[in-house]
Amino acid sequence: MKRFKIQFLVGTAVVSLAAAGCTDLLKEQPRSIYDPGFFQTERGVNGGLTSMYAHLRYIYGNAYFYNTTLTGTDEVTYGRDADENFLAMDFSGRAALNANNSRADALWGAAFPNINTASGIIKNASAVGTISAALVAEARFFRAFDYFMLVQTFGGVPLDLGSGELEFNTNPIRTSARNTVPEVYTKAIFPDLLQAITDLPANPRVVGGATKTLARLYLAKAYLTYAWWLENPNNIPTYPAAPRTDPAGRTAQYYYQQAYDVATAGIDSPGPFRLQGTYYDVNLATNDRNNEMLMFADHTETSELYNAGSLTFGSGASPDNFAGWMLTWNYTNIRSTTAANGNTQVSSVQREAVQALGRPWTRMAPTIGVIENTFADKTNDSRYDGTFTTTYRGNWPKGGVAAQTLYNANSLPVVPGNAILTFLDAEPTDAITYPTGAGTSNIGAGVLPGRADYVIAPRGISRIVYPGLWKLGPYRTDNGSGLGQPNAASTRPFNIAKFSELYFVAAEAAVKGATTKSGQSAKDLLNVIRARAGKWRFDNNGNVAKSQDNSAAMVAATPATIDINYILAERSREYYGEGYRWYDLVRTQKWNELASTYRIGGNNYGDHTPTTVTRTIQPYHYLRPIPQLQLDRLDVSADIKATYQNPGY
Amino acid sequence: MNTRIPSSRPQRGLKWSRLVPLLLLSGAVAPLVPQAAFAQVAGAHTVTGKITAENGEGIPGVTVVVKGTTTGATTDVNGNYSIRVPNDNSVLVITSIGYTRQELPVGTRTTISQGLVPESQALNEVKVIGYGTQRAEAVTGSVASIGGDALREVPSANISQALQGRLPGVQFAQTSSQPGASTQIRIRGTRSLTASNDPLVVLDGIPFPGSIGDINPNDIQSVDILKDASATAIYGSRGANGVVLITTKGGKKGQKPQVTYSGFVGAKTLFAKYPMMSGPEFVALRKAANQYTNSLDEADDVNTDWQDLLYRTGIQSNHNVGLNGGTENGRYNFNAGYYKEQGVVPTQQYTRFSIRGTLDQAVGKYVRLGFTTNNTYSLSEGSNVGVYGALTSSPIANPYNADGTLKRTIRMPLDEQWVTTKDVIEANQDRWLSQTRSLASYNAIFGEFKMPGVEGLKYRLNLGVNYRQSQGGGYTGQGINAVNPTTPSSASVSNAVTTDYTVENILSYDRTFGEKHNVNAIALYSASSNIYNQSRIAARDIPSDAFQFYNLGLAAGEITVNPNDQQYQKFGLLSYMGRVMYSYDDRYLLSATFRSDGSSRLAEGHKWNTYPAVSIGWNVAKEGFMQGVGAVSMLKLRAGYGVTSNQAINPYATLGRLTTRPYNFGPTNYQTGLFVSELPNPNLGWEYSRTWNYGVDFAVLKNRLSGTVEYYVTNTKDILLGLPLPPTSGVSSYTANIGSTQNSGIELSLNGTILDNLNGWTWEAGFNVYANRNKIVSLAGEQQRDEGNWWFVGKPINVVYDYEKIGLWQQGDPYLNVLEPGGNVGMIKVKYDGTYNSDGTPTRAIGTQDRQILDVNPNFLGGLNTRVAYKGFDLSVVGAFQNGGLLNSTLYGSSGYLNLLNGRRGNVKADYWTPDNTGAKYPKPGGATSGDNPKYGSTLGYFDASYLKVRTISLGYNFDSNAWLKNVGVSRLRLYVTAQNPFVFFSPYKKESGMDPETNSFGDENAAVTTSYPRRILTLGTNAPATRAYLAGLDLTF
Repeated sequence: MKRFKIQFLVGTAVVSLAAAGCTDLLKEQPRSIYDPGFFQTERGVNGGLTSMYAHLRYIYGNAYFYNTTLTGTDEVTYGRDADENFLAMDFSGRAALNANNSRADALWGAAFPNINTASGIIKNASAVGTISAALVAEARFFRAFDYFMLVQTFGGVPLDLGSGELEFNTNPIRTSARNTVPEVYTKAIFPDLLQAITDLPANPRVVGGATKTLARLYLAKAYLTYAWWLENPNNIPTYPAAPRTDPAGRTAQYYYQQAYDVATAGIDSPGPFRLQGTYYDVNLATNDRNNEMLMFADHTETSELYNAGSLTFGSGASPDNFAGWMLTWNYTNIRSTTAANGNTQVSSVQREAVQALGRPWTRMAPTIGVIENTFADKTNDSRYDGTFTTTYRGNWPKGGVAAQTLYNANSLPVVPGNAILTFLDAEPTDAITYPTGAGTSNIGAGVLPGRADYVIAPRGISRIVYPGLWKLGPYRTDNGSGLGQPNAASTRPFNIAKFSELYFVAAEAAVKGATTKSGQSAKDLLNVIRARAGKWRFDNNGNVAKSQDNSAAMVAATPATIDINYILAERSREYYGEGYRWYDLVRTQKWNELASTYRIGGNNYGDHTPTTVTRTIQPYHYLRPIPQLQLDRLDVSADIKATYQNPGY
Repeated sequence: MNTRIPSSRPQRGLKWSRLVPLLLLSGAVAPLVPQAAFAQVAGAHTVTGKITAENGEGIPGVTVVVKGTTTGATTDVNGNYSIRVPNDNSVLVITSIGYTRQELPVGTRTTISQGLVPESQALNEVKVIGYGTQRAEAVTGSVASIGGDALREVPSANISQALQGRLPGVQFAQTSSQPGASTQIRIRGTRSLTASNDPLVVLDGIPFPGSIGDINPNDIQSVDILKDASATAIYGSRGANGVVLITTKGGKKGQKPQVTYSGFVGAKTLFAKYPMMSGPEFVALRKAANQYTNSLDEADDVNTDWQDLLYRTGIQSNHNVGLNGGTENGRYNFNAGYYKEQGVVPTQQYTRFSIRGTLDQAVGKYVRLGFTTNNTYSLSEGSNVGVYGALTSSPIANPYNADGTLKRTIRMPLDEQWVTTKDVIEANQDRWLSQTRSLASYNAIFGEFKMPGVEGLKYRLNLGVNYRQSQGGGYTGQGINAVNPTTPSSASVSNAVTTDYTVENILSYDRTFGEKHNVNAIALYSASSNIYNQSRIAARDIPSDAFQFYNLGLAAGEITVNPNDQQYQKFGLLSYMGRVMYSYDDRYLLSATFRSDGSSRLAEGHKWNTYPAVSIGWNVAKEGFMQGVGAVSMLKLRAGYGVTSNQAINPYATLGRLTTRPYNFGPTNYQTGLFVSELPNPNLGWEYSRTWNYGVDFAVLKNRLSGTVEYYVTNTKDILLGLPLPPTSGVSSYTANIGSTQNSGIELSLNGTILDNLNGWTWEAGFNVYANRNKIVSLAGEQQRDEGNWWFVGKPINVVYDYEKIGLWQQGDPYLNVLEPGGNVGMIKVKYDGTYNSDGTPTRAIGTQDRQILDVNPNFLGGLNTRVAYKGFDLSVVGAFQNGGLLNSTLYGSSGYLNLLNGRRGNVKADYWTPDNTGAKYPKPGGATSGDNPKYGSTLGYFDASYLKVRTISLGYNFDSNAWLKNVGVSRLRLYVTAQNPFVFFSPYKKESGMDPETNSFGDENAAVTTSYPRRILTLGTNAPATRAYLAGLDLTF
């Protein structure tokens, strides 16, 4: 017995020694994560391609980045609930822009990892051997796209991420050296896009996939922007310092011509892309992903996982598409009463997940100039109606208020679907009676005799009450009979590039002296856009079908000579609130000229007296500050860090 | 077991038990006494008697030896002994652990009964030192110990709560205030920047892979904490952050079977509500800010206390039944426990069932076998319910409809809030729940074989096999906790399984040569492996509430298996270890250890590491020249040096990583993208710490006062760091050996008996205080500052890098427009570090370069405990204190969104600036903002973290000599009442807020914005509120 035990014990010991002695114990085999080696397989490369599209969500739809593209331009100022991120962007003295409050960091943070992914795909694809040139071209497109966005926003940026220029970086370095603007264009953006145009398909591989047309638009735009940079008409500084000469010795004029040629080639070989029949259809939620859209950051309401954001309550961070909240004011404060002249108030326009409404953040506001000047023509031109929510309609039954009839302005009855508040297209002939303070509407809206809806005139808008941005409003199919999920981020795609812009790019190049082709003069090109803008099929704010073709009137109103200011105004009508404006004004160096003053009412309900606000836009503001995070993580001396930052910040 | 038998023959000094791992330890195990034959001598006769304790009960296992001989005996279970003495001049030496040694001249007596007097703990205390035990006297490393009874003076769910403030150099910080939550343990500060700073927990000799809450405090015999490198060295890399050795109760040899019961029950109440504004205060704030008008649910004359509507009184109860006993050759101890703790937040509760057993049996002369098994089933419920909704609700919003029913939601000017009250939560218990069920089994089996023929040589095999499964389930019914009543229901299930084993082969040798040379050597080879596997599935739109989370397959909506929620991690560790302890005459002590570890987590070619540790001790009091110094009973000097190393990074960190990014191409074409987020590091190796430790242990005044003073310096280099890279590198991070840190500190503990049974009064007190100074010595390369991670050379690891509030801008203060463009009078004024023009104007606006490094670490910490006894009564108080340090309360700071100071929603009580109240602490409502908060609002959350806290007060009565109880078989009965967390003093935070100043969250939890602070900066956020409990308990032994 004892003997047996001893033997047993010793035996166990020996066995356990042997078992444990196996050095397999020290080998690692991950089973729930990818190690970087997978990136060198065909499926890994495909995953890399998908992540490049997904990276767009971290830039487009992010409201803070959205703010950097608009606030401070002639399109947008800050709204009543603006925080420092918005105030700083307005350059009107409420806060100074710096590396910490500039939210262009969203671009910086998303672009470089994506550039590296693109370089990795380009490198690994050749090693894998089964990756088509068309797929590699998608990577080239995105690498160029990110560099183009970066160079416009920050000036020269590094081409070497650690393993050499445009090489896939596997070297964990914590230093960085910026290239110059011409180096970024001529070494990275142009070659990649030229290759992409050659290799990309005409028809997208997936919904929203990169195409020849998309690459043409970006190459044309890059040529145009670079040409402006070379020309530098208003002597705006660049950084890092570089002479305004092309490394290959080409002139600005050469690039204007290239821009024109590439853009018109895009128009002439559109592939599957077309202009929509009416402007209303371009941004109509039910018509999302239409064939005018060349690229968008997509979202879905059918999968929280793949939408990468809550379908019920958005927290206000990437990768959610929450840009639309910024230009949405708090319409839910509008009050009607349950009885004529009664005291029982009801919120008659409740927060609803429909395109005209959505979640209000009141961070940004249109200026009076936008309403009065940019969209001076609201009759022929359908674009004002296709851009803003100017009529707020009663939806209280969806919010559980049982009353069939409520009493609104002038104590007149309203029923669900009636206008509760209307932003008038123009100053009325009879003066509006505005209350002192919030008044019976609770939002300081006025009344006109006989009208059941409260009204506000164009000059009566303020930082707290203004027409909302209809274009980016949410849309869901799961609202049922209720208000839906207005607090979720938008599940619509955020549109980034449109076929229509080829016309603008070509027209701008033409204005800048490109030799035009027959029938494609600047005016010809703009008239295509303007003619479309004259076509109505639906009166959005009137909420009625409206079949009307004002194309002729629109074309007739086009000036004989197109100049840059006219192109910029037309661009604003076409792309208002979509995130183009700051780049347009910076490219053309017209920011200061067009945006240095604006008019808007104050912060409080009942404030209908416009004030003229002056902005102080310095030449150095034409570049955004390098984000604090980049500076924080650089392992370089303080003086080198200081030279890494753009001057002035 | 370490009782020494004076022996002239070396082979009798068979102190094998010094080597026996923890589970053999128990209070009174007698050594093996050789049955030596002896010759008949004149006067020889047999002496019998009974050795008794103070209470008159016989003590089993007491050694009785005839002085100067090897003749000895051991008392039986009743304390009786019988010994043959050689002559009338014989002297009996009676020794037993925990009692003063007695020498009794025999003379011609044939019956000698003797009562033993308990010995002061300081001298005969046994410390568990890892692969063995040692008398405190012989320990040369830094070991802090506490017994299970002292531990249980603070009734709590787990020992990490009970230990707070009890041991010098060991900091316990609360990371959650929910029932059953455990705390963060830091031994002598933090060393590593990214790798784990958690100590190794060893349960009954086996590294413990589970949750500390799985260990029932009632089962604990002792907790010993190894603090310096020479003490932890034998645990190698896993012990780099210190080692917590937990020893559970064993049986006693020769103990009659006894049944014990201990339990308590009590009420758990709120310590203090979160200090939110009342209705009238809020009305004034909203008016002062002039930004928002009342919503339809709000009115100026409403005053709703949302917290009153939410909280309840919880019940806390604990019951344990145990059986233990022993025979000549074996011992056993079994215990079953039940613990339940309800929080003050409805449905939050923690329930634990535990069963433990230990058996130790000798088989024949050479073999011992045994096992310990700890099994726990626990259930945590209610983490779905938070307090934030109640706190953020406007106090002027009326929760009731006109008909008296509760509203589903209340509207505020910008926000709408689902109404969370106790009634709502309880009514919806089956529609809104979250629970985690854990089953854990920790088992250690050993076999021991004494090598016949080689005196003192032994082989032992330890096998630890552990399993822990944690199953989570959550369900939120349609419209629950949502503004929209049609928000679809959602449910999730998760499952996490840890399987873990350790095999240890130990060869030990223990002998005393020539009476004075004691050698104890040990060699070990061990292998361990741990696999962690987690999965989680979520689903939306469960058709029937009845399903809850039990069948996600029935979901009508999306079923999500998020790749980020699925985890598999496996790591292995191989080790060789050797240790020699040598002592000469108990005066000169030496311990030398070396260990070699191979870790799977490090890169190929860098997996193995070998490191040494040495410590020496000198028992000065045993020197001849000290014998005349009667006041000093013990004085020991010791010093140690050792290297330890750390590999506690996540498995696979050396390999780099691709992160996934889901995307949809069009509404329904779902794809998963991936990109390189972490680069591999083929050179990733060990992190090293070199520790010097110096200590003095002393006992004076006949052991009435004893204590320890220690000083240490730990230098850590090649720190394992998940190093974030600048965005321009295109990769977010990689793990590298970068930088170095230093911890140095001083620790003092004192224990004294102030009154020693003076007219029946006994008064004992213990006190400890310690201070640790932590700093980063270097970062990567030449880098002096890592602003992105808040790491700065020369500063501690844990700092807040933020602006420093120096007041508020007042009317007429110069340069407001320069320093704060767009700013306003009444806004927060922060420190400006920039230069000035010759005319005195600042050269620039305040910006990020003005951020300051704010140290969060306390100046010193400690604890105190005291016990006063009179007859059967005893009163004990346990307290803890902290001086200095920064307490970050997100309640007041920006990230909590509860101090917006604009009247948008519920606001914490704050004395804010108005033109008539310019001396206020808080800024002008509606002034300059950053985000939604007042500009620099984060600075409002920083408080002085000092406090003195009485953790428990207990009053008990022992029915020790009650005849009636004895008659019914009760040998021990104690009744007590305890107040838990009764008082807090000297806390600036409590002074302002009324709240408990202890942290309750990691830096990235329980705030509206969880990205403002790194996880390591513990905060006081909107977790379950701190509580105070009143308990009544009873301990009973049959």
